[in-house]
Amino acid sequence: MDPGTIVAGILTIAILSFLYGDNPVYKMAETLLVGVSMGYVLVITWTNTLMAVLFKPLFLESQFWLVIPFIFGLFMFGRFHKSTSFLSRYSMAVLIGSGAGVAIPAMLGARTLRQMTATVEMVQGDSFLTIFSGLVVVVGLFSTLSYFYFSREHEGIMGRSAKVGTYFLMIFFGTTFGYTVMSRVSTFIGRMDFLLSDFLHLTN
Amino acid sequence: MNSTQSRHLAFAGLFIVVTVTMLLDISIVATVSNETKRMFDYLDNLPDSSVIIVSFDHEASSLPEMKPLGLVMLRHLFAKDHKLIGVALLAEGTGVGYRLMQETAKEYNKEYGRDYVFLGFKPQFIAAILSMGESIKGTFPEDYLGNATSQIELLSDVNNYDDVAAVVSLADGSLTTHWIEYGNEKYGVQISAAVAAAMLTTYDPYISSGQLKAMVGGLRGAAEYENLLGIGGSGARSMLAQSSAHLYIILLIIIGNFTYFRSRKKG
Repeated sequence: MDPGTIVAGILTIAILSFLYGDNPVYKMAETLLVGVSMGYVLVITWTNTLMAVLFKPLFLESQFWLVIPFIFGLFMFGRFHKSTSFLSRYSMAVLIGSGAGVAIPAMLGARTLRQMTATVEMVQGDSFLTIFSGLVVVVGLFSTLSYFYFSREHEGIMGRSAKVGTYFLMIFFGTTFGYTVMSRVSTFIGRMDFLLSDFLHLTN
Repeated sequence: MNSTQSRHLAFAGLFIVVTVTMLLDISIVATVSNETKRMFDYLDNLPDSSVIIVSFDHEASSLPEMKPLGLVMLRHLFAKDHKLIGVALLAEGTGVGYRLMQETAKEYNKEYGRDYVFLGFKPQFIAAILSMGESIKGTFPEDYLGNATSQIELLSDVNNYDDVAAVVSLADGSLTTHWIEYGNEKYGVQISAAVAAAMLTTYDPYISSGQLKAMVGGLRGAAEYENLLGIGGSGARSMLAQSSAHLYIILLIIIGNFTYFRSRKKG
């Protein structure tokens, strides 16, 4: 058995020991996970980002315009001292400004306009089932929106619509919860599969 | 019995159910759902030797669920002789992605640089997705192994998304949404996804709107896909344990509710 499998097997058992209760073995495995993850991300960031995208092109390929993002990057470290903390605001301003500029049109298009179009298109389907599904979606959309409309009392038609909206929300939460349970159980099964087959050789 | 004891008992029960069913070592042939069939057909109908980006948008913690999904995707794509470009938009997906591609490529005698390439991790996923729309080689001047991408055979005719037939996002979180918002919305590249089961409801509306071409999810999706490919795997092997665990959890919910209502009645 290769050393990697032995280490992974022991650490899996150490993490599973939390099911009995918090204990030093679990704490050790948890600390190791945080440390290794951080180390891994640091190495990847150093080699794939700082070296590949900044230092190499700047110092070896003479792409001097990269000095500008480099300086803005350094400004972020200004936060560590009171007298220089204002510098990080310039970097943040660039980040937020460009980020919002890029994100707003894309999100508006993909999440709102295209979804609205799809909602209407479903009602115009060619079979009874598609039209019925489309109507359910439309009722779900308007009733859920009315639940989140807080500028008017939830009374009368508005109240009834909001009530229907809560049922749609509950169905959504229930489905999502079910899938999440399925996902977590899958993760547990995956580790048990590893323990029983690769580590203990009890199954094929 | 206090709450800690009952929690321990519930966990111990789940442990026993999963262990016993896995020791039985029975593979279940999963009934294929429409969603999985749609994903299979979509990838199967892409022209042979298409250039496809496989994006490893997940962390190591979700590997037990994402690995079977990644394996079936890669096996199908390699079997169809597609040219694969592997990328990772999360740092932890880098090592996992490279290893998975390498292992699967060996099974199909695929050569690195000609049939597949792994470009590695790029931080700031939105910037990375947008930048690849302009130039893939510009975004990744070097591949994961440090080779200059300008010298890689597979990438010689690949400049940006115009030369890519599809993107397959292997995601355990919301990264597929960014592929849809920036890759599909801005550049029109076709997006499909293999996602953790917990994300299925999040992405479902994008299937209806056509922004996501197809989607397969969770260990169940992997088992169904293995069935369509006609191969065995950890998905099918885990289905009995998955079903038993679900039945056990349903039983716990019934017992919990019964106890709750009985105690409320007693006042």
